[in-house]
Amino acid sequence: MNPTLLINSLTLLTLTILLTPIILPFLFKNFKNTPQATTRAVKTAFLISLAPTTAFIYSGVESVTCHWEWKFIMNFKIPLSLKMDQYSMTFLPIALFVTWSILQFAMWYMASEPYVTKFFTYLLTFLVAMLLLTTANNMFLLFVGWEGVRIMSFLLIGWWQGRADANTAALRAVIYNRIGDIGLILSMAWLASTFNTWEIQQAVHPHQTPILPLMGLILAAAGKSAQFGLHPWLPAAMEGPTPVSALLHSSTMVVAGIFLLIRMHPLLATNQTALTACLCLGALSTLFAATCALTQNDIKKIIAFSTSSQLGLMMVTIGLNLPQLAFLHISTHAFFKAMLFLCSGSIIHNLNGEQDIRKMGGLQKMLPVTTSCLTIGNLALMGTPFLAGFYSKDLIIESLNTSYLNTWALLLTLMATAFTATYSIRMTILVQAGQTRIPPMVSMNENNPLITAPLTRLALGSITAGMIITSFITPTKTPPMTMPLITKTAAILMTILGIVLALELSNMTHTLTHPKPNPLMNFSSALGYFNPLVHRFFSKNLLEKGQNIALHLIDLSWLKKMGPEGLAELQVAASKAATSMHTGLIKAYLGSFALSILVMILMTH
Amino acid sequence: MNPYATSIMTFSLILGTTITISSNHWVLAWTGLEINTLAIIPLIAKSHHPRAVEAATKYFLTQAAASALVLFSSMTNAWVTGQWDITQMNHPTSCLLLTAAIAIKLGLVPFHFWFPEVLQGSPLMTALLLSTLMKFPPLTLLLLTSKSLDPALLTAMALASTALGGWMGLNQTQTRKILAFSSISHLGWIAIILVYSPKLALLTFYLYTIMTSAVFLALNKIKALNLSMIMTSWTKTPVLNATLMLVLLSLAGLPPLTGFMPKWLIIQELTKQEMTPAAMAIAMLSLLSLFFYLRLAYHSTITLPPNSSNHMKQWYTSKTPSTPTAVLASLSILLLPLSPMMHAIV
Repeated sequence: MNPTLLINSLTLLTLTILLTPIILPFLFKNFKNTPQATTRAVKTAFLISLAPTTAFIYSGVESVTCHWEWKFIMNFKIPLSLKMDQYSMTFLPIALFVTWSILQFAMWYMASEPYVTKFFTYLLTFLVAMLLLTTANNMFLLFVGWEGVRIMSFLLIGWWQGRADANTAALRAVIYNRIGDIGLILSMAWLASTFNTWEIQQAVHPHQTPILPLMGLILAAAGKSAQFGLHPWLPAAMEGPTPVSALLHSSTMVVAGIFLLIRMHPLLATNQTALTACLCLGALSTLFAATCALTQNDIKKIIAFSTSSQLGLMMVTIGLNLPQLAFLHISTHAFFKAMLFLCSGSIIHNLNGEQDIRKMGGLQKMLPVTTSCLTIGNLALMGTPFLAGFYSKDLIIESLNTSYLNTWALLLTLMATAFTATYSIRMTILVQAGQTRIPPMVSMNENNPLITAPLTRLALGSITAGMIITSFITPTKTPPMTMPLITKTAAILMTILGIVLALELSNMTHTLTHPKPNPLMNFSSALGYFNPLVHRFFSKNLLEKGQNIALHLIDLSWLKKMGPEGLAELQVAASKAATSMHTGLIKAYLGSFALSILVMILMTH
Repeated sequence: MNPYATSIMTFSLILGTTITISSNHWVLAWTGLEINTLAIIPLIAKSHHPRAVEAATKYFLTQAAASALVLFSSMTNAWVTGQWDITQMNHPTSCLLLTAAIAIKLGLVPFHFWFPEVLQGSPLMTALLLSTLMKFPPLTLLLLTSKSLDPALLTAMALASTALGGWMGLNQTQTRKILAFSSISHLGWIAIILVYSPKLALLTFYLYTIMTSAVFLALNKIKALNLSMIMTSWTKTPVLNATLMLVLLSLAGLPPLTGFMPKWLIIQELTKQEMTPAAMAIAMLSLLSLFFYLRLAYHSTITLPPNSSNHMKQWYTSKTPSTPTAVLASLSILLLPLSPMMHAIV
């Protein structure tokens, strides 16, 4: 069977099946769009998407399909074309698998929600936009998907609209993403004007690509993937429901920025400055996020900062000129991060909305499946040998150690690896182990298969995904083969260092009297003082400038002084001057008459 | 006033006007002007109030000076050209002096100072006569000599009149003074078109007479001597107040009322004579007088005035309706569609 045809048609079938819960209510009046229907659609789509992926693995065929062309300018083609290459073929089943598990979990988590159908429809729309982004062949379609995920993220973060914090967080996400969009549109414009196309395959510069569009792309990725400088929206996005956090802000949306850089990699590869910028930005982000996660007490915020840190790591990989490795990390990261979020969701719901880890403890006996999956997820995150995270993370650290690069970036990344282990172990110990600190009147159980089935599935994925993906995808760059022992074991050593540190510290907390606040802890728990410094300054500036222009310039000076009021004042002044002339004295009048006649006679002769 | 005295004054007024209008000789014209002056002085000083007496004195002094100047200009013209015909006023200095004299008689700037005070001192009906009838003979003299007059001088005086009438009228609360300045503004419009199209000047004067008469008669009915009296008169004469508003807007020159017709035709004629800046200037300066007309119109139709009235509309009317007010008001509101006929008649 022709593999191209197989791949194309089955991928299109997958995408169409995903759209059914949205389209069918318009076609059939009786069709009730229930959460079960949506979950079933996603599950079917996942199972069908395995077929084109298998065909791709077997034959290695990559294809581009073009469905329709938007002809609105003569020379510029904007086709609706989808690209099925190794990235999109691998990402499709992974995203659908994770989404299926999340939707199944959400059926339990959001069971008491009155608008649950709308919620599921939103999630489905988000998924469609994300898949459009990944299978897009040209920048236009990518931008459509980009904006689509941003809008759905806004709607979903602010799902509980009555909560002011949720609305602020949604707005923050939108604004920070928008700043990144400036970069994306800049590079799109450059691309259109230089190459006369928005297709990514045609964008190959013979010499070094100029730095401006690359900076635009890096800005776009920084905005979408929460790199340092545009990062505050990701912790704030935890205001949304846990399924939203699991889907958007761990597995799929936040990797869109990195995915953009992976797609535009041929452009990036020629410019060393851009690569170094990626490297340093990624290193800074990963260390900063890991530092902030050390002192967080909200379980979702810890996982959010952990996501941010892993995104920094992916950015570092891009900076190392290893896009395939970054994609591998995206794929493996999706599994265990989604699972971590789902575990935290189960814990939160069972504890009646308690999110503070200082009020949890000893949950291992009460929620065995959840906590086991939490442990597996944390171990995978830390890069435990032969779990999913190991295949990508260890390779990245090895490549870092054996490349010719910035030592500062290397040191930062290694420190971040240690911190990753530290906060993961801290979270694990405070949540699961020791004496329990929960309020006594909670009744918790995880007997519902809607909880355990997705968690088990994702745990299975966290364990085996790394091995499966690396076995079937051929690497495009040779991985480093030989290196000294210390370099080979650098990652695992840093992880062990982090674990030991965490265990020591947790032992210390039993014997401490009262922790004294010290500057380092303040720095970490205040998230680096970034939010109060940046947010106030820019918004105040902008609003003041706007007020000056609108009120002083336009209202006061043009519309008042130069316009009506100024004119009216002029007339009042003239009127007063004229009134003072009319004194009422007839002698003055007659004298003025005589004078005027004299002047008139003199002027005309 | 004594009926005999009133009848003598009235007949003298009619006689004086007729003599001046129908004269061919300068001395006869001057005679008519003097008769008019003398006849109206008792009418101004009728009430023996010091202000009225002062007004009469001012009127006499200025008008006498103006008549002497008229005679002087005609004498110099007769000395130079040897004839006393009104239409054959050829000598330039005589024309200049005649223009100045008629300007004093009419009340054009810079010879207008007497007009507001005289009007303020006289009763409303006498003020009406002063504004309309007493302007007719001097205007006729200007019309007869319009070919020889200096256009630049007349344009300058016209623009200054409109401007000053506008600015001064803004600062007044007494209705008679407001109407004096409105009269000065309208005289500006008449003067500017005098040289180019005397017929149009005459038409403007006729329409101005109709509109001002309507206003004066209405104000006389409600005895409104200042703005606050207009504000509370709606309880007694609501319909008259509404009509007064329309007549005032017609004076301001707003289409579709009659007052728009002279302004429109004058601007058209000025543009044809390549005097577009002057046309624009005089139109813009009329906006100033529009403001106080609007203020008067607003006060006449306001139903919740600051000075409180004791009651709403009275159920009885003590004011008898009067035919001249009604006729004149109707004419001043509705004549615009008849513009071609009016233009042809005049």
